[in-house]
Amino acid sequence: MRKLGVLMIAALIASLMLGKLVVIGPWSGAEQEKFLPVLKAFEREYGIDVEYKAYRSEDLLKILPAQFKAKKSMADVIFMWSWFIQDQAKKGNVVNLTDVIKEDDFIPGALDAVKVNGKIYGIVYTGKVKPGFWYRKSFFKKYGLKVPRTWQEFKDLLKKIKSIPGIKAPIASGDGVGWPLSDVTEHFLITFGGPYVDKDLMAGNLKWESNTAKYAMGKLVELLKAGYFGEPTEWTMVLKQWWNGEYALYFMGSWITGMVDDPEDLGVFTLPGAKGVVFAADYAFIPKYSKHIDEAKKLIKFLATEGQVVQVRQGGHIATYRYTSLSDYPPVDREVAKILQGMEALPDLDDTVGGAFQKAFWDQLKLLWVNPERFDEVLKVLDEKMAVTKK
Amino acid sequence: MRKSKLSHFLVFMLPAVIVIGVFVVYPCVRTTLLSFFDENGHFTLRNYAEVLKSRDTINSDGITRGEFPLGTLLHNAIWIAIHLPLTIFIGLIAAVILRKTWGGNLLKTFIFFGMVMPMIVGGVMINFMFDENVGIVNAFLRLFGMPSKTWTAHPETALFSLILGSVWLWTGFSMTLYSAGLETIPKDYYEAASIDGAGPFVQFFKITVPLLKPITVVVATMTLLWDLKIFDIVYVATQGGPGGASNVLALQMYNYAFIEFNYGKAAVVAVLLTMFTLIAAIPLIKTAGEE
Repeated sequence: MRKLGVLMIAALIASLMLGKLVVIGPWSGAEQEKFLPVLKAFEREYGIDVEYKAYRSEDLLKILPAQFKAKKSMADVIFMWSWFIQDQAKKGNVVNLTDVIKEDDFIPGALDAVKVNGKIYGIVYTGKVKPGFWYRKSFFKKYGLKVPRTWQEFKDLLKKIKSIPGIKAPIASGDGVGWPLSDVTEHFLITFGGPYVDKDLMAGNLKWESNTAKYAMGKLVELLKAGYFGEPTEWTMVLKQWWNGEYALYFMGSWITGMVDDPEDLGVFTLPGAKGVVFAADYAFIPKYSKHIDEAKKLIKFLATEGQVVQVRQGGHIATYRYTSLSDYPPVDREVAKILQGMEALPDLDDTVGGAFQKAFWDQLKLLWVNPERFDEVLKVLDEKMAVTKK
Repeated sequence: MRKSKLSHFLVFMLPAVIVIGVFVVYPCVRTTLLSFFDENGHFTLRNYAEVLKSRDTINSDGITRGEFPLGTLLHNAIWIAIHLPLTIFIGLIAAVILRKTWGGNLLKTFIFFGMVMPMIVGGVMINFMFDENVGIVNAFLRLFGMPSKTWTAHPETALFSLILGSVWLWTGFSMTLYSAGLETIPKDYYEAASIDGAGPFVQFFKITVPLLKPITVVVATMTLLWDLKIFDIVYVATQGGPGGASNVLALQMYNYAFIEFNYGKAAVVAVLLTMFTLIAAIPLIKTAGEE
């Protein structure tokens, strides 16, 4: 009895000394509710308490560099953009995880975005696919519309939709933040330039004003000039308008399945001929200034592996951990996971490049959307900002 | 006696001198120095050259074509050119009209709401006001059968939308100051002018406007300073877009510092803003000196 008491006191002192591991992630509201079971599962398995804090990546971008400069960290595990992890790893502010996770356990290339000189500095968590244009099956049925198989069929479909009374435009354009427009743009780049164009643009090996990139972007501009895209409108507001039939198509990531009243009514198609889709994974790292690096390593390994299985069961996420079974997914997500098969999964272009380019990319696309005649000027600015970012 | 005066001086002045020194003078000097050094700590004028030659600051292509973006320097100048006279004019007229109107104080309270509101909220409100679907501006235009659009989404109207929105947010300030100023003008002046046959317009231009000159100087200077450091409204409503069409100096500084992490270039914009601010503050300092 006395021994038990001593053990309990020792455990209490140990837990007080360790405190809680702090995890920072971008999810709040309903998304946070789906993430918390993952942390609970870790707490149960390892007996280590974890506290979750939600921060926007844009805010972390301003806070973390100053903290690291002061050799401090506000959390033990932080979810952040891959380019930021790479950048901080080069500055020596990130814990090397090469011995913590095995690269073969994840979908090919998934960890490339967090590697520096062959060493792994972050984990790849689950992600969201940006598969293509979403539509309501009931809307297509009502107006006798069919999923296009060629570029010409796609243009014919848009023309037909535009003639439907009450339609504002065939395709809804999300605004407010910059990524809805950049996502659809990237889909055009991948389809008409091929996955390598997307990769070369990311690496800064190809200019935006090059013929290849210009050709791929030109296909988008052709549709913009024809008035097939609606005016940029706050992305959640336009989602409702699309659902109510004011638009027929909406380019969005797989998280849309959790944002509509009836996911069963959802259909999705890629641009005809697309050989790749963007798979926007979430990445996490351990700051060098964490006070609980050993415990944080246990947590980050759990998140990268078993945690992903728990996460996909909550819905809305696609795993990068190869040992996640299709049966772990809810039915709607299973369909999205299938789209990935046979396609090259590419990282998100602007999230990968980041910095001044990302901001300029989002901003210039807003200009292109309302003024496609200024296409050449937009490409020129993108090249300028890419040069600044890669400097 | 002299010793006692000195000790009083030190007791009362030292805390203020320390606070101003640490929180105002030191950051100003440090920022100015930062603008003249590169990342390796070498003296350079390259930061100034890069900022002043940047199309973000002065966009010669846009100026030649007469299309936005024209550059942050011109955007701020346009902001001042429109916002400053409108704020003074509307604030003065509102103060004069509402002074003797029934329910005038209540109306003044409503106008002052814009001033009380945090500018971040103001930016969100402006975004909604000019939105195609839910905006009050488009609802009004549709009454007259005019086409609607999201004004902040188009380069040719984005900056003007923000400026007009900021007039709504800032007019309460000028109106309040003018209202207080009007109370200081003796009624005898107006009575004497009436006896001499002067009408309301003559009284307004010959008595009210000249006697409110010190207030006008304060309103103009404060508005000018507000226009120079305008940031929050733009950041929330348009992020300076589309395509930089509504970008302003303070947002440019923020982008250099926290998006590009180029503190040297951010310091250059900060120095430029400080210079403009000092120039703008001269009339206020002179007026205070005269008084």
